[in-house]
Amino acid sequence: MTTKTAGRRAATRGTPRPPAATGKRLGPSPKMAVWFLLPAVLLLGVMVIYPIVYSIFRSLFDASGSTFVGVDNYVSIFTDSAMLTTIRNTLIWVAVAPALVTVVGLIFAVMTERIRWATAFKLVVFMPMAVSLMASGVIFRFVYEQDPDRGVANAVITSVRDIFSSGSGIPGARPRENDQAPVVASDGAVVTRQPVSPGQTVLVPLVGLRPDMLPASTAPAKTPGQGTAGINGTVWLDFTPGGGGAPEKVDVDEKALAGVTVEALRDGTVVATTTTANDGTFSFPELTSGDHVVRLPRENFEAPFNGLSWLGPTLITPAIIAAFIWVWAGFAMVLLSAGLASIPRDALEAARMDGATEWQVFRRITVPLLSPVLLVVFVTMIINTLKVFDLVFVIAPGSVQPQANVVALEMWRVSFGGGGDYGLGSALAIFLLILVLPFMMFNIRRFKREQS
Amino acid sequence: MASIVLTNVDKVYAGGVKAVNSLNLEIRDGEFMVLVGPSGCGKSTALRMVAGLEDISGGEIRIGEKVVNHLPPKDRDIAMVFQNYALYPHMTVEENLAFGLKLRKMPKSEIQKRVNEAAKMLGLEQYLKRKPAALSGGQRQRVAMGRAIVREPQAFLMDEPLSNLDAKLRVSMRASLNQMHERLGVTTVYVTHDQVEAMTLGDRVCVLRDGLLQQVDTPQNLFDKPVNLFVAGFMGSPSMNFVTAELVKDGGTAVAFAGYRLPVPDSTFHDKPGLDQYFGRKVILGIRPSDFEDSVAANGNVSNGWVRIPARAEVTEELGSEINVLFLIDAPPVEHRDTVAAADQGDDTDTSLPLVGGKSLWTARVNARSHVRPGQNIELAVDTHNLHFFDVDSGLAIGHPANIGR
Repeated sequence: MTTKTAGRRAATRGTPRPPAATGKRLGPSPKMAVWFLLPAVLLLGVMVIYPIVYSIFRSLFDASGSTFVGVDNYVSIFTDSAMLTTIRNTLIWVAVAPALVTVVGLIFAVMTERIRWATAFKLVVFMPMAVSLMASGVIFRFVYEQDPDRGVANAVITSVRDIFSSGSGIPGARPRENDQAPVVASDGAVVTRQPVSPGQTVLVPLVGLRPDMLPASTAPAKTPGQGTAGINGTVWLDFTPGGGGAPEKVDVDEKALAGVTVEALRDGTVVATTTTANDGTFSFPELTSGDHVVRLPRENFEAPFNGLSWLGPTLITPAIIAAFIWVWAGFAMVLLSAGLASIPRDALEAARMDGATEWQVFRRITVPLLSPVLLVVFVTMIINTLKVFDLVFVIAPGSVQPQANVVALEMWRVSFGGGGDYGLGSALAIFLLILVLPFMMFNIRRFKREQS
Repeated sequence: MASIVLTNVDKVYAGGVKAVNSLNLEIRDGEFMVLVGPSGCGKSTALRMVAGLEDISGGEIRIGEKVVNHLPPKDRDIAMVFQNYALYPHMTVEENLAFGLKLRKMPKSEIQKRVNEAAKMLGLEQYLKRKPAALSGGQRQRVAMGRAIVREPQAFLMDEPLSNLDAKLRVSMRASLNQMHERLGVTTVYVTHDQVEAMTLGDRVCVLRDGLLQQVDTPQNLFDKPVNLFVAGFMGSPSMNFVTAELVKDGGTAVAFAGYRLPVPDSTFHDKPGLDQYFGRKVILGIRPSDFEDSVAANGNVSNGWVRIPARAEVTEELGSEINVLFLIDAPPVEHRDTVAAADQGDDTDTSLPLVGGKSLWTARVNARSHVRPGQNIELAVDTHNLHFFDVDSGLAIGHPANIGR
C-alpha cells in the first residue's frame, strides 16, 4: 500500500525519484492523520476525558458546589466511620471475591473437561452472565429470605438440619400462673413447685398450646401409675376442648405431650434424664430416696431453628459475595476451559510418564501453564469487584445497607441516593478510579505484550 | 532394564474400531525394537498401551516380570519421548530434566549429578538455564531424550521422535540415537512410519498393518525375505516392482510377463519350497529396483544369473550416487489389496505418471555412470537370483519359512 501511495505522489509531483531519497515520510500527510483522529478524539474527550477532569474538579468543592474545600472531601473518606466501613467492605470484597471466583471457575473448568454433556453443563453455569446484575440481585434477595418457606437458602439449611434432629419441642407451652399450679416457670424451664420424693407422682399440666396444633396422632394423656418405684409423672396439655374438665387433673379429652425431655435434679444437679412416652408419662424408677426437683429444661420451649438471617448486618457481605460468585463463575469457567484446551496434551502425558500423580500433574503442569489465563481472570475480577454496585444495592435491604456498603454504592448514595453531596460523590468516584487504575494498566500491558 | 512382552493385546475404541488386533510381540532385554507401518496401523496405540496412556481392551502386557495391564504410567518405570517433544514450557531445560527425579524424591545431589551427566552426553550443558521456547528443534529433541535418560528407566518408548526435525538433522539424530542405545543398552521401543529409520535403527523391526502384526525380523531379513506383498511393498525405497506373471517350464524354468521371459535358477526352487507347485499358474512377481542394473554401464560385471531386458526410460531421477529409471512395462498394475495398502502410505518418491493403457510403472536403480536420459532405450540387467514370488490370492510369499503350511 505504501509503495502505491508513494508512487502516486511521486507521479503527481512529477518527480520520479525513489521516495526514500526525498527525505520525506511515507504515507499520507499529517493533516490527513488529524482528520482521521478527530472523531475518536472528540468522542473520547466528551465522554471520557471531560467527565474525569470535571469529577476531579468537582471533588474539590462542597455539596452545593459553590465553596472550594480543597481535599476535605478526600479527608472525610478516610475519617468518617461509615466511610471506613465502606472501605473495609471493599477490601473484604477484593480480598475474597476474585480469588473465590477464579478457584470456582477453575474447578468447573477442570471438571467439565472430563464429563459427558460438558457443553450443556457449561451453558447452565454460564447462564447467570446472560441475566442482568439487577435481576440477579432480585433473585438472591428471594434466595436469602429469612422465612424457610420463601428463601431457598434457609429452606435448604433447615431441611438438612431437620434430618439430623427431630424438632419435637413444645414452643409456647407454659404452666398456669396461679398458686395452685404444681409447676412454675423458672428461667425458661418449668420446675415443680415442691420437691418430689420417690413414690410420689408428678403432674406437669401445661397450657398455651392449641390442641389442634398438636399432631393428629397425639394420644390422650394418662394419669401416672401409682405405687410403682421411683418418681412417676405425666406431662400433658391441661385443656379440654369445648370446656369442662378440672384444672391440674388429667381429664379424658386432654392430650399428652410426648417426647418432652424431663430431668430430675438433686441439690441443683441433674441426676436423671428421660423423655415422656406417647401417653405423656415419664418415670425415674432408679430414684429410690431423697427429695428431687423435676424440671422440663428450656430446650423444650425454644422456637425451632429457622435458618440464618442472611440479610442481617453480619452475614450480608458474605451473602452478596456468594451471589457475585454465582454470577461470575461461569465467565471464569469459560475463559479457563479455553485456556485448558490450549494446553498441549503431550505435556500432561509426559508428566504422567515422568511419574506424576493426577494431582501433581494439575499442580505442577496444568496450573503453571494456565497461569496467564488465571491472571487475566483474576485481574478482571478485581476490577469487577471494585466496581460492584448493583448486587449490593438490590440484595441488601435498606436497613443494612450501611453495613453492606461498598465504595461504588456509597458514591451513588451520597450523590444521588438522597445525599445530594456531589463533591463527596466525585471524590469517591476519583478514589475508585485510582483503585481500578493499576489493574487496568496491568491488563492493558498484558494485551499489548500478547499482540507484539 | 527389562523385556516387554505383549500377549494377544487388543485395543478396541468406542465405536468398535479395532486399532490393535491380538498383537503378540516379545521385545528382549536391551533390544531396540522398531514398530513400523503406515499411519493408522495401530503402532502408536500399541506403544501408548505399553506406556499406560491407553487402556488395554484385551490381552496382557508384561514389563520385566510384572503384568502392568492396570498400572498407571507412573508405576511402570518407563520413559517416553514424544513426537513433538512435550517439554514443559514453563520450566528451564534443567528443571525439565529434573522433573521426573524430583517427583521420585531423589536427593538433590543425585539429581544434579544425573542431570549434568545427561546434559554432557547430549551436548546441552550451555542450554541448561534456557526455557524450551529459546531452543531449536534439534535441541528440544535432545532435551526430550535427556528427560528419558536421566530417569534410568526399565525401557524407553519413542513415538516418532525424529519426525518433526528437518531431513539433515534427522540423519544425525538417528546416528546419535544409535550410539545412545549402544552405550546405555536400554530396551527401546521405537515407533515410526519412516522405513529408513526402521531399517537403520532397529535390532528387529515389527511391521504392522491395520492393527495386525505382519512380520517381525531383522531389517535385512525383512528386506530380503518379506513374508507377504504388503511387507515387500512397504519396506525398501523405491518400493518393489510387482507384476502378475506366469511360471513356465518349457525350455527351462522361467517366469513370463509382458513379453519378457526371465529364467528362474534352480537354486530359487531350492530356497523356496513349494514354488514348483505353481508351474503353469499365475504368481505375482516382485523385483527390487536395486536388483536391476544398466547392462552397458555394468559392462562385464554382469555375471551368471543376470538377464538382460530392453526398456525405454520414461523418467529418470538422478540422485548423484545412482539413478532411478522409471519405465513402463506392458502389463496391468497389480491391484492386490496388499500392494495398494503399501503404496498408498508409502514413500513420496513414488511418481504417479498417468498410466497409459493399463501399463504399470517400474523403477530400476542403476549406477550413476549409466548416462541414461528420459526417452532413451536402455538395456537393463536383472538379478534373477533375487526374484520374489507371491501367491495371487493370499498375497503371501511363496516358500517363505513362515508361510509354509499356511
